[in-house]
Amino acid sequence: MTTLTAAGAPQSAWWRNRVVRRFLGHRLAVVGLVMITLLSLACALGPHLLPYDSLQIDLHARFASPLTGDHYLGTDPLGRDLATRLLMAGRISLLVGFFSMLLATLAGTLVGVVAGYMGGWVNSVLMRTVDGFLSFPTLFLLLALAVALKPSPTMITVIIALTSWMTVARIVATEVASLKEREFVLAGRMLGLSRAHIMFREILPNVMGPIIVAATLTVARAILLEAYISFLGFGIQPPLPSWGNMLNGAQQYLDRSPWLAIIPGLAIAMAVTSFNFIGDGLRDALDVRSELK
Amino acid sequence: MVEFLLKRFMQSIVLLVIVSIIGFVVLNLIPGGPIAQYALDSGMTQDDKERIAAQLGLNRPLWVQYLEWAWRLLQGDWGTSFRDGNQVFSVVARHVPATLLLMGSASVIAVSIGTVIGIRGATHRHSVFDYIATVGAMVALSIPTFWFGLVGIYVFSLELGWLPAGNMYTIGDGSVLNHMHHLIMPSVVLALVHIAIWSRFMRAATIDAMGQEFVKTARAKGVSERRVVMKHVVGNALLPMITLAGVQLPSLLTGALVTETVFTWPGMGRLFLDSLSNSDYPVVMGLLMFSALLTIVGNLIADIVVAMVDPRIRLA
Amino acid sequence: MTTDQKILIEDHSRRDALRLMAASAATGIFFTNLLGKPAHAQTRPAAPKGRVVVGVTQEPTVFNPLMPHPEVDDSVAFSVFDALFRIDPKGVMVPNLAAEVPTEANGGISADGLNWRIRLRNNARWHDGTPFTAEDVKFTLELIVNPKFRAWRTTGHALVRDIKVISPTEITWRMEQPFAPYLSYLTETFIVPKHILGAVANPNEAPFNQAPVGTGAFKWGKRVAGDHIELTANTSYHGEGPYIERLVFKYIPDMTVMYTQFRSGDIDVAGQAFITPDNYKEASRLPDRAVTLVPAGSVESIYLNLERPQFRDRAVREALYMAIDRQAIIEALYHGVPRLTETFMPTQSFYYKSDLPKQEFSLARATKLLDQAGWKPGPDGIRVKDGVRLSFNNSTTTGNGLREQAQQFIQQTYASIGVEMKILNHPAAVMWGDFWTKSQYDSAMVGITYLIASDPDVSLRFHSRSIVAKGGRGSNNAQYSNPEVDELLDKGARTFDPNARREIYLRVQELIRKDLPFLPLFSSNIVYGRKARIQGFMPNTNTRSESWHAAGWKWA
Repeated sequence: MTTLTAAGAPQSAWWRNRVVRRFLGHRLAVVGLVMITLLSLACALGPHLLPYDSLQIDLHARFASPLTGDHYLGTDPLGRDLATRLLMAGRISLLVGFFSMLLATLAGTLVGVVAGYMGGWVNSVLMRTVDGFLSFPTLFLLLALAVALKPSPTMITVIIALTSWMTVARIVATEVASLKEREFVLAGRMLGLSRAHIMFREILPNVMGPIIVAATLTVARAILLEAYISFLGFGIQPPLPSWGNMLNGAQQYLDRSPWLAIIPGLAIAMAVTSFNFIGDGLRDALDVRSELK
Repeated sequence: MVEFLLKRFMQSIVLLVIVSIIGFVVLNLIPGGPIAQYALDSGMTQDDKERIAAQLGLNRPLWVQYLEWAWRLLQGDWGTSFRDGNQVFSVVARHVPATLLLMGSASVIAVSIGTVIGIRGATHRHSVFDYIATVGAMVALSIPTFWFGLVGIYVFSLELGWLPAGNMYTIGDGSVLNHMHHLIMPSVVLALVHIAIWSRFMRAATIDAMGQEFVKTARAKGVSERRVVMKHVVGNALLPMITLAGVQLPSLLTGALVTETVFTWPGMGRLFLDSLSNSDYPVVMGLLMFSALLTIVGNLIADIVVAMVDPRIRLA
Repeated sequence: MTTDQKILIEDHSRRDALRLMAASAATGIFFTNLLGKPAHAQTRPAAPKGRVVVGVTQEPTVFNPLMPHPEVDDSVAFSVFDALFRIDPKGVMVPNLAAEVPTEANGGISADGLNWRIRLRNNARWHDGTPFTAEDVKFTLELIVNPKFRAWRTTGHALVRDIKVISPTEITWRMEQPFAPYLSYLTETFIVPKHILGAVANPNEAPFNQAPVGTGAFKWGKRVAGDHIELTANTSYHGEGPYIERLVFKYIPDMTVMYTQFRSGDIDVAGQAFITPDNYKEASRLPDRAVTLVPAGSVESIYLNLERPQFRDRAVREALYMAIDRQAIIEALYHGVPRLTETFMPTQSFYYKSDLPKQEFSLARATKLLDQAGWKPGPDGIRVKDGVRLSFNNSTTTGNGLREQAQQFIQQTYASIGVEMKILNHPAAVMWGDFWTKSQYDSAMVGITYLIASDPDVSLRFHSRSIVAKGGRGSNNAQYSNPEVDELLDKGARTFDPNARREIYLRVQELIRKDLPFLPLFSSNIVYGRKARIQGFMPNTNTRSESWHAAGWKWA
């Protein structure tokens, strides 16, 4: 369990914090952190440094191979520079992943805290709703929603969040339920603190650990989900590039221009792996029990 | 125990109802409809289209349509497809075996390879093998299944020509060998993520078990390491494995959907995409219910196994 | 296939039709010489042998040809069933189940076009051996307009009254009003057996719909759902052939995969939706394959919603048309497969107007036109006039790679003249729902076949009473309304003489080209592919299927 913080205790320098130290000692997690930082920087700054515009169609330069001529990574079927598109797509895929994680975590935490603390029929109703959503294989629900609602990046973010909040809710509910009977909560109740205060000012800070871990893994999952639905044609729509929709047309050109399929996939793998490494590292760093291993 | 089972069973029914309502609402949010496929037909007038819509019962209020659908479902009638008038049940049933074949083979591959890797990683902790296996698993979990399929097609079908690029079998050759030839790539691709999951799981379970008292005792008694591992560890991990298998079902279905697209495998996933694009609501609802059923059953089995082990519930 | 050969096919059909029409014009008789004798050789062939596998990318699922179905189901229908007449590749009407094509000359159609008498052949049999009679025709026509039956198209059939069976080989009826296209419609109306469908309580759910019985060259064999359909030869077919023993329609959901299987020889004929343009060059060089470019009936265009304020101004429509680099789209994106056109009429049709003003791609002139019409660039670079920005959506179905590429290309070109075209695509079922039929779109990129059974009557598309969004009953999704065109279309539907009709429809094309309710991109060509050893394969763009005459196919 995370270290319980009573309100008002003095905080030591963050880099000396035990959790941070443990995280940094986790090699893979650091690798992941470095990778994702580099990737994010590349996506944020790269398009400004490259000479091409990601939307610039040039029918005379279609299907150029990577490392030949002017285009570092070649061009796509409409002659657009693949490197620029890849980085612009990264912006969208990463942003969609990040914001849907934010939404999902907020919603999931809210539901989880309320359900875990209130218990009883509130817990039953909320948890059964969670289970209801979980009973859909994710992709099925995602696709149906994507067809029903307009596929703008905002909508896609909302839809992915809609299919990701449940895991967070479950984790949080379990944690909160186990914390409910602890002394500091009973103390708070005796002091007459309101339920909301106890839930969000006392219990929530102590659940942050698992929430952060869940959040990191949710980003990873969200990026993958966006790739899946865009690949199937139901996600981000052209001409906006996303890593998923860049792969959408790639299968038919596989024998002539395989790099169209390989390169965006590598980018996705890199981003998702980074987040998974980080999440793993965080989980180990925050988990007291793992010290015994 | 019986009480527990009954409670969970009732909850499952409620879940199914919730799932059906959510699905129905979402589907009917979709603008357009099954008549849309005739919109470009120059010979179809608006009269024709409205007549067909009325004949299909599409202009009744939503809750009426839902109740009628639910009532018929309870009587075993899954409805008729808007596209060809076939019974939804038979349409779905015809596509299920292909998907089950895919999921089954992928599971077998995932469990067998994953278990071996996991156990070895646990018994040789911090070795090069373990390190590669761990990193490999993490990477495998991060790769989109369909991308792996595309790369596989490129390497093994287009470049090397060893494996076919799709379909369940070659026309005119329905032999078992041919079927298996076509099954290799899709099932391996689908299994990839699950190999990673199983290897990590088995590694953790083995490590856990190895730290237990009875194992230390057996070791102290001089029983060979291998026997200790195989007999006690795997034996104890059996129940959690069933739990994991149950929980993995929905993600197997999701993975199957994408794998079927890449390899044009004639299964449920393909049917789902086709029907969704054509607004063939009855079939889509049928598939949603069926996959929800599988998921709920998987979770139920997992819960039962957990309950069997948990003394609080067992003794209740 | 060389350009010369391409031109040959089109001129051939037009010349033939013209020659035949000219002969009949003098006597004011319609269609007489467009009639051929039943072209079916009467020599019984040796026992049919061999199997042909046709690949299709959409699964045929509807086997009752009278029920709503997409094009691919017609491939099966053409083999299992017969209609009263057929249109051959040259546009000549040929009797099939009928003994002759009714005309004024032979008394088949009365002078006012209202009374019809059809004489039927006496040697056709259903696959179960029962003889085909006029009762079956009566039953079919009545079933189509039966309100309880989920029928496909009822246009034309709804005008039929008082069907009388005079004898097993003669049937008469009366039309409510003269409707010239009806003869063409009948070529796509397959006859179903009364003794089977008439005997069930609910024809919508009859077992017949899963195991059809027709009079066609092939009998229903079996269906493996989601995979393929197998038909077997009908050795007592009344017409030519069949020469092959088994006809298989194999469902391959992906066009790339289908092409791969065509290349490897797994399938013998590449059916719906044929070979993609980017494979055309490679396909035509494959050994042992015959790959031809055949004009399709469909025209690809940017379809406008004329009620949108941006499109009300004809100058805008002309400028938008001038700003499309059609040549680049055809050459680069579509690999030179389709050809340019200025009209909705297929280029190989008798009614095609060849001297319409040609579009010229000129950004300079487009800019000038917009400036002169008062559309000045606003602060964001997009042109504005009277508060209306020249910005609109363009929609098509998701998943169509080539269309999406064309959209993005046009979007870029338009941006350079201050026009903002945003791309908003939907899955097919959404795109073609109310969004399309009730004219809720701004503009669409779409390929439409305007003619029904090659009849030039386009009232459903361009008549003002066909605007659904305004309460009409057709498919005039562009909300096009021109009183002169309305009048011409009404007249055309009542006129039976082909030459007179031709004059009418030439004028219609002229007016529509001027009004530009849609901006033609190109006229589609289909890339047909088959194994070279298959003989008797005749593309027929007057029908909806490449397998319209599978009865004539045989292995060399």
